[in-house]
Amino acid sequence: MELIRAVHGFVRSLLFLLLWSNCEGRESELNYVTCGSLVKLLNTRHNVRLHSHDVKYGSGSGQQSVTGVENADDANSYWQIRGKPNRPCQRGAAIKCGQAIRITHMKTGRNLHTHHFSSPLSNNQEVSAFGENGEGDDLDLWTVQCEGVHWERDEAVRFKHVGTDVFLSVTGEQYGHPIRGQREVHGMSSSNQHNWWRTMEGVFIQPSQELIRHDEL
Amino acid sequence: MATRGMNLRNVCCLLLYVITAVLAGRDFYKILGVSKSASVRDIKKAYRKLALQLHPDRNPDDPKAQDKFADLGAAYEVLSDEEKRKQYDAYGEDGLKEGHHSSHNDIFSSFFGDFGFMFGGNRQQQDRNIPRGNDIILDLEVTLEEVYSGNFVEVVRNKPVAKEAPGKRKCNCRQEMRTTQLGPGRFQMTQETVCDECPNVKLVNEERTLEVEIEQGVRDEMEYPFIGEGEPHIDGEPGDLRFRIKVLKHPVFERRGDDLYTNVTISLVEALVGFEMDIIHLDGHKVHIVRDKITKPGARMWKKGEGLPNFDNINIRGSLIITFDVEFPQTQLDEQQKDGLRSLLKQGSVQKVYNGLQGY
Repeated sequence: MELIRAVHGFVRSLLFLLLWSNCEGRESELNYVTCGSLVKLLNTRHNVRLHSHDVKYGSGSGQQSVTGVENADDANSYWQIRGKPNRPCQRGAAIKCGQAIRITHMKTGRNLHTHHFSSPLSNNQEVSAFGENGEGDDLDLWTVQCEGVHWERDEAVRFKHVGTDVFLSVTGEQYGHPIRGQREVHGMSSSNQHNWWRTMEGVFIQPSQELIRHDEL
Repeated sequence: MATRGMNLRNVCCLLLYVITAVLAGRDFYKILGVSKSASVRDIKKAYRKLALQLHPDRNPDDPKAQDKFADLGAAYEVLSDEEKRKQYDAYGEDGLKEGHHSSHNDIFSSFFGDFGFMFGGNRQQQDRNIPRGNDIILDLEVTLEEVYSGNFVEVVRNKPVAKEAPGKRKCNCRQEMRTTQLGPGRFQMTQETVCDECPNVKLVNEERTLEVEIEQGVRDEMEYPFIGEGEPHIDGEPGDLRFRIKVLKHPVFERRGDDLYTNVTISLVEALVGFEMDIIHLDGHKVHIVRDKITKPGARMWKKGEGLPNFDNINIRGSLIITFDVEFPQTQLDEQQKDGLRSLLKQGSVQKVYNGLQGY
């Protein structure tokens, strides 16, 4: 009798453990921003989404412009999160805080980029979209600054440029024709409430089951 | 006597009927056509293939199509969930708890997208007048291992969805020419913006999981569309979400069509006396190579059936082509070794001079 009771209790606790471990083990990256995901980035202070289009700056570098827009249903506000050139990040892997990434504009294949040119409206640092087919140069890298270990989807983060150390920001200046109402996006050296961004709409890729892989050469 | 026999037979038949009625919980494994030990990936693959075949829109003449399709959805719902599958394996269909059952539409649209289903034609043909939201194209990087064995990618789609809101809004705005009379015989034509009144709409973000299949043998630039999962259009239909496959470079194998190419460096000794080795393939199985003759640098070995599965018929496979190159010894030879080699190899001096770049 005692033995049966003991076995019964053991089995029950084992099942309970299994059930609990199932909940834990299902480590869904549902809450993290992962490599390869397509996202819209919202500036939390000014409520505009990071955006680009086939319109070039009329001053500064003359490269493709990057702005902030109010509407939520424009496909030109989608950006793909990618790893560094020659070191592709693993598809579905959560982006770590402090990791350097490229942010590639989906429609035009150009990378979020900044350099020593002045922005047209506020005289901060110009932020442009640069490159072809996702390949640009060293000034396409941004580090994700966030609390904790990984970049969470509903977390406000900052993007600090690797190379010029400015933060991706919006301070509210608005363009006129032909992009009336869109806000200027620029780089500024101080971290403040204008450089918080969070992910909104998007296609978030989960990590897949491990297939047999070869080691990196 | 006869009646007794007949009664016995009747009872047997009745008993059999009752038994089968009781055991009439559906065989989900049979419905999906998978073995009891199938992996989740096999189950997803089977569902996706059968869902395309059994969809009622595709079988308008089959009165049982709706039921077959419903069975398929139920089978997938149970077997793709670890918990439910365990319960089903132990207790059968009746042993399943009355949990939340996702509608089959949800399951189907996580594989194919939202907006109904069109077979064969482009939706553009029907809907030329209805405005469409933007399409979204996502470059999906896949490894050669995934092209060989297939895989599923789960994706969470968070998108704005048009929902009813109180009040009215302007829609279908267009420019029209209005003629106004200024005086006798004097008219003026002006352009005016004219709008209709529509029920008000607001955009609310919704989330759902989509399953993208990386089919075996998939080629670069192939696209997997999810209808209606693109950007919404306030006055019309949403656009589509398309996954465009981008096959990554591989450190060991190079793809050409369905064939795989690889290189192996062997030592000079192995090239002369022969060797035996294994090449580990994309799914881990070993390709055994035996060579007992002399192997020249640049020699090629053709291994049939060891390439990639063909996308249109995965029973056909390409070949693995192995090109050998030879690594010569690093250290220089002394006179004694040189003499030894001369007598061993018994190959005279050749020293032929020719134009190698023009095929002479």
